[in-house]
Amino acid sequence: MNLVQKGAEADIYVTTWNGRNSILKIRKKKDYRIHSLDTRIRTLRTIREAKMISETKSFGITTPLVYFVDEKKCEIYLQLIKGKLVRDLPLNKIIKTCKEIGKIVGTLHKNGVMHGDLTTSNFILSKQGLVMLDFGLSQKTDKIDDYAIDLRLFKEVLNSAHAQIVDDAWISFIQGYEKILGTVLTEKILSQVSVIEKRGRYANVV
Amino acid sequence: MLSLGIESTAHTFSCAIVEKKGRQVKILSDVRKIYRPPEGEGIHPREASRHHAENSPQVLSECLKEASVTISDLDLISYAAGPGLGPCLRIGAVVARSLASYYDIPIYPVNHALGHIELGKMLTGAKDPLVLLVSGGHTMILAFLSKKWRVFGETLDITLGQLLDQIGRYSGFASPCGPRIEELASKSTEYISLPYVVKGNDVSFSGLLSATKRVIPKGIESACFSLQETAFSMIGEATERALSFTGKKELLVVGGVAANKRLSNILSSICERHNCKFFVAPKEYAGDCGSQISWIGLLESSKKPGLDLKDTFVKQSWRLDTVEVLY
Repeated sequence: MNLVQKGAEADIYVTTWNGRNSILKIRKKKDYRIHSLDTRIRTLRTIREAKMISETKSFGITTPLVYFVDEKKCEIYLQLIKGKLVRDLPLNKIIKTCKEIGKIVGTLHKNGVMHGDLTTSNFILSKQGLVMLDFGLSQKTDKIDDYAIDLRLFKEVLNSAHAQIVDDAWISFIQGYEKILGTVLTEKILSQVSVIEKRGRYANVV
Repeated sequence: MLSLGIESTAHTFSCAIVEKKGRQVKILSDVRKIYRPPEGEGIHPREASRHHAENSPQVLSECLKEASVTISDLDLISYAAGPGLGPCLRIGAVVARSLASYYDIPIYPVNHALGHIELGKMLTGAKDPLVLLVSGGHTMILAFLSKKWRVFGETLDITLGQLLDQIGRYSGFASPCGPRIEELASKSTEYISLPYVVKGNDVSFSGLLSATKRVIPKGIESACFSLQETAFSMIGEATERALSFTGKKELLVVGGVAANKRLSNILSSICERHNCKFFVAPKEYAGDCGSQISWIGLLESSKKPGLDLKDTFVKQSWRLDTVEVLY
């Protein structure tokens, strides 16, 4: 078992499951959180992630296969996906990929699911196309506000981590998103995004 | 180079003189007067600004005396131009403008939040940190990238300082309420389940505020304990996410709430897990103070001339991520 990433949410190992190469995602106990709170968060997110990864497949979104879930230990065995995180791609490639990300997010929202943690490190570009990861913060919802929160987070990530290409990447994302959700709904959600941005501390208020 | 900095964004009126000789930086004086609202009440902007106006001559002369400096020795004057309470900001700006015009000294309006960060960096020696700014006015996770401090996460509603203050005021404590809540929390280990809201790298405290008010009748100590544990764990998680996303190897905590031991505790344990150096702004410079403003003035003066008096603004809403950093 090889530790490949010490993430914020979980530790990621490469291992095998019944002879197949697999990723083991363990939501480790966090000593800084009070025990009951920690258990509540880790169990809830493990179960939610396992459920959503499987469910979103029926919308046509590519996600890893779930091999096994141990909700007591907060462990999930997942299919190993080979490829590169979108975050680490060359800049022009990120811009292009954002359109695909837009389509995937659009599909998710169309089916009443918000992802909750849309960042460029939660997508892997692999041979089988773009694969979406990390559903621990996902949620079933029909609120425009929740979809807008997803979009705002992604915009915030582009703005902070990919500042050089934020405008082009965002336009490309919206193009993809609009293809799935249509102009009317997209406009509605985008205007909610600006409402949320105005809630930000010291944002320009008239 | 001798720089006078004037801070007056909220409850603190402070003047400080910072000296820079080559690479050597020294805070010669930092004098503060803090407006204290009656118990159970918050800052009244008009009353706070009256406090600042009344105390400004004394704070200024003490600050000069302590540093053994006269006004004509000063090479520049900087004042906190925002974000903050309008009436309070105007007092600092008026003092700065008066001195600058009478003595013909270059004047610099600076961003208050930037002051917290840069002074924290200077005092702790952090080089390229992820910054957590937690105070009454801010709750932001930031990192520097191509000329600007970029926001990686922030509160979607009230700040951490406001959360603590509002609970404190609701219970009739005197503002700022952080230390009192910390003390009460340390007397309990009984955790009452409260809403925990992390959205990506962002947090939301408004639901937690209402829920905590509801559990206060069960005992103020356990309420404070549960409030701190929940809120700080949320901040911890958001910070941890940003840390792992950016891959930064340093974390710097600044702002009034940085003085809280339990918060430091949580953050340093996160840093240990991610092999990351942990820095906290020294307690006496964590909250609002003139040194922060004075230091930014020095940094800015190395890159650009002072402003014309007619351009010296105050701006209540002045987001940090809109400020272009030249130095």
